[in-house]
Amino acid sequence: MKRGLALILVSFLLIGLLAGCSGEQKAEAEKTKDGKVIVNFWTFWGSETRRPIIEKIIDDYNTSQDKVFVKHTFLPWGDIWTKNLASVAAGNPADVIINDINTVSQRAENKQVEDLSKYVDDSFKQQFYPHLWETVEYDGKAYAVPFNTDTRLLFYNKKAFKEAGLDPNKPPATWAELEEYAKKLDVKKGDNYERIGFYPLWGSVGASSWMTNADSGKGFIDNGKLAINTPKKVEALEWILGWKERLGENTVQAFQAEFGSEQANPFIAEKVAMWVDVGTFYTQLRDYGQDIEFGVAPIPAYQEGTGNFAEGGGFVAEVPKGAKHPKEAMDFIKYLTGVDAQKYWAVKNYDNVANKEAAEATVDELEGDDKTVYEATVKNLEQTKMFPIPVDYPDYHSRINPQVDNALLGKMSPEDALEEAEKDVSKMKK
Amino acid sequence: MKSTESTLVHSEASAKVMHETKASAAGKKKGLSRKAKDNLAGYLFISPWIIGFIGLTLGPLLFSLAASFTDYNITSKMNFVGFENFKRMFTMDDLFRTSLYNTLYYVVFSVPLTTAGAILLGVLLNQKVKGMKVFRTIYYLPAVLSGVAVYFLWMQLLSPSTGLVNTMLGWFGIDGPAWLFDPEWTKPALLLMKMWSVGGGMLLYLASLQGVSPQMYEAADIEGASAWQKFFHITLPMISPIIFFDVITSTIGSFQIFQEAYVMTENGSGGPGNSLLFYNLHMWNNAFEVFNMGYASAMAWLLFIIVMILTVVNMKLGKRWVHYEGGDGK
Amino acid sequence: MSAVTEPKFYETKKFKENVKHTFVTLLLIAGSTLILIPLWWMISTSLKSPAEIAQYPPTLFPKEFNFSNYIEAWQTAPFTRWALNTLLIASLGTIGSVLVNSLVAYGFAKIRFEGRNTLFVIVLSTMLIPGFVTMVPQYILFSKLGWVNTYLPLIVPAFLGSAFFIFLLRQFMMGIPNELIEAAILDGAGHLQIWWHIMLPLTKPALVTVAIFSFNGAWNDLLGPLLYINDESMYTLQIGLQTFKGTVQTQWHYLMAMSVTVLLPVVLLFFFFQRYFIEGSNIASGTKG
Repeated sequence: MKRGLALILVSFLLIGLLAGCSGEQKAEAEKTKDGKVIVNFWTFWGSETRRPIIEKIIDDYNTSQDKVFVKHTFLPWGDIWTKNLASVAAGNPADVIINDINTVSQRAENKQVEDLSKYVDDSFKQQFYPHLWETVEYDGKAYAVPFNTDTRLLFYNKKAFKEAGLDPNKPPATWAELEEYAKKLDVKKGDNYERIGFYPLWGSVGASSWMTNADSGKGFIDNGKLAINTPKKVEALEWILGWKERLGENTVQAFQAEFGSEQANPFIAEKVAMWVDVGTFYTQLRDYGQDIEFGVAPIPAYQEGTGNFAEGGGFVAEVPKGAKHPKEAMDFIKYLTGVDAQKYWAVKNYDNVANKEAAEATVDELEGDDKTVYEATVKNLEQTKMFPIPVDYPDYHSRINPQVDNALLGKMSPEDALEEAEKDVSKMKK
Repeated sequence: MKSTESTLVHSEASAKVMHETKASAAGKKKGLSRKAKDNLAGYLFISPWIIGFIGLTLGPLLFSLAASFTDYNITSKMNFVGFENFKRMFTMDDLFRTSLYNTLYYVVFSVPLTTAGAILLGVLLNQKVKGMKVFRTIYYLPAVLSGVAVYFLWMQLLSPSTGLVNTMLGWFGIDGPAWLFDPEWTKPALLLMKMWSVGGGMLLYLASLQGVSPQMYEAADIEGASAWQKFFHITLPMISPIIFFDVITSTIGSFQIFQEAYVMTENGSGGPGNSLLFYNLHMWNNAFEVFNMGYASAMAWLLFIIVMILTVVNMKLGKRWVHYEGGDGK
Repeated sequence: MSAVTEPKFYETKKFKENVKHTFVTLLLIAGSTLILIPLWWMISTSLKSPAEIAQYPPTLFPKEFNFSNYIEAWQTAPFTRWALNTLLIASLGTIGSVLVNSLVAYGFAKIRFEGRNTLFVIVLSTMLIPGFVTMVPQYILFSKLGWVNTYLPLIVPAFLGSAFFIFLLRQFMMGIPNELIEAAILDGAGHLQIWWHIMLPLTKPALVTVAIFSFNGAWNDLLGPLLYINDESMYTLQIGLQTFKGTVQTQWHYLMAMSVTVLLPVVLLFFFFQRYFIEGSNIASGTKG
């Protein structure tokens, strides 16, 4: 009996102690001892590779001036935004957070981010790629600043090209060529494929990218209008189905499952000869695929001259609504998206950055294959389209994807599937 | 411990006279009636839970109930919309039906399968066999494991052509399905995963089986009862309170299946043909992807009603088959 | 039936026991293999080099055993600190959970008070609402209390009972004969004494189960610490595990090495605490008959 009570008492004492300690920490959270304003900065860059890079940038900023001290906190991918939401609701958010580039307007609409318009002028805006800057504006106001981005390229195995009698310096430029090359690159042993030339849904690309690519770069929602069931998109879906039928459902599933756990990569394992992926995929090739002779090219165009559209993504730095020090936060964001910090990030992480000058400076700094691929990605940014989620159709993907799945599983014709998808999405509009 | 034994000795002697004496003897001692004392003691014993419920749980619960009648978006809006959210579930939102169907499918299979599996495993691990400590630890292991690593591990095991599961099926001449890539087989795949980690439930039964006295089995042995008879007439009734607990809590748990599907379908996209879009996943997407927390709250409270009805039915049925050794059947 | 002749060796009870034990052991070994194979994949990945992990087809056995993965993974972040934090939270939570839930369960199982059934239904109903929809209001509440960035939101609730454990322990306690309690009351014992001296010893296997579940739950909790802790020095192991998951590349060798390391304490705990099942059974069986 007594032991039990003693245990409870000790526990409560300990809890009290913990509460006391943390109370103190809270008091110092607003300012450092030497009177600098503390800016809390949340990112999901916690890995051994990324963390030192962002922390070097933060250190540089902290020593560059004597008014603001940036405190970096790592939060896991995905969960970071759940926590952000809860803390915005409770009124104690971070001062700067890294968030998804394609959903800025949704957050603006729901008042989760501070309006940064008063801190930015035209010369500031012009530092960034226009297609990226567009995503951070909502109703004519800026709610975030683009930080990094990505774009998709076609990686192809030059050795395989030579074996198949193709010119390793002439990658496919159109869908027709892609198909022609892929057939030549297939290696079949009996009923099994030893190597597959290409499959449009593998890599960092989905059915939607091909549909957009065919439809002159038009997304599912173009300037507020639905463009889901268009002839070109139906054609693209039929085209993908053609690949699936040619290779056979089993082959596709087997390959997909084999590499679904994200560990081994079929292009690196030389099981697939052409592969669409983001620029940073190159670092995996460089680190784990020493023997591979590869080349990069823009994603083949639907037809000659229709454009090599690629889908882009990325992240922005923004100030959550209700942050204590928005002015200081913005000062840091300006540093974070300035040429020096962006170039450092780009070189060290081999990542595409939003600042144009920094991107070009990075090309100059790199050498060899590093340079070739990076230059290709920077060039590709011009043909990269962003598809920010429109405020009126916040989760339109969840309505389109199952219908596209149905079409790809052969349960519906592509035309019916897209018609159904368009109907489902149109029902969502508030 | 000493006093326990003395009480035990006493208990056998006094058990029969107790009924006549309890009210007078125990009650008069301190001047309070037995009933009043029991009321006081009862509330004192459950007071930690009452404090927690009123202090920490009730507020957020009521808030979410209120939110279900609004267009609450977590950060800026909360306007009353009446029954609009509930109406939308049944008229506008096709995915709601899909998610409810997927969840019911999962509940219907997972509850009986995991309950039966856990009971059998519990009985098996209650045998006196050498190395049992190690066996128990091994079977409990999957329940300790959590997080993304496990799900990725399963994605590899379930790989259609080289995954271990289909390789093993192949030994028996069975051509295994495509599991996570075939909408027909995604839910069975999750059930298989669930069965793997049935060790958590096993622990409950193992603990419960310790309360079944060996004397009962010995008595049955003397009467020449078979193993099956002993299992059905002694073991099952004796552990029935825990079966009851397990059925109710795993029904509740299965209705709330989320993480497996979230991780295995690339951030909650719902899997091939939305076959893994479970109720909670759809709710999560509404709450944190689209910021329609009002709608998500309405979904949560509809689920509350559904599961509440099932729980009440379970409890009513439970009175027929749950056997409490303590004597409180009612 | 009336077998007067000497039974054949295969009819003896001993032989039957032996057959049964062999059968059970074989069954258990078969099952263990099914359970351990997936785990082997985890361990084998934890010992591989990143280059080997990227290889296709995957190798079942690592070409070379990189035990250094374990040390390196531990050193990538302040894992020692995080382990101690996790241990503190999980231990306190477990103590609270065992004591308080058994106290409350005793009230529901063995004391007849007015409103007991209604209140018990309310206990159960708190389990029915998915946590997502109460998460934000709860965060706001804890934030108003000034508990954000402290361990209080992670520990205090454990001291205020959980529906799941209350229900579980109530079920166990209802299996304890009422006569025991009535007799103790006649002896002049209060409910608190009965709870401590009779109920807790008699429900030891159940309490060990609650302890294992609580510890395991707190040890594996990711969302709680992640929501409420803002200082990295106060993080827990589960958040630490997330550092290996990258947006572009996951460090599988480290992730698996650390997952195995994090798993170990809970497994050891379970291995050693099992003996209380057996001890508990002796007491329980002694009371009946």
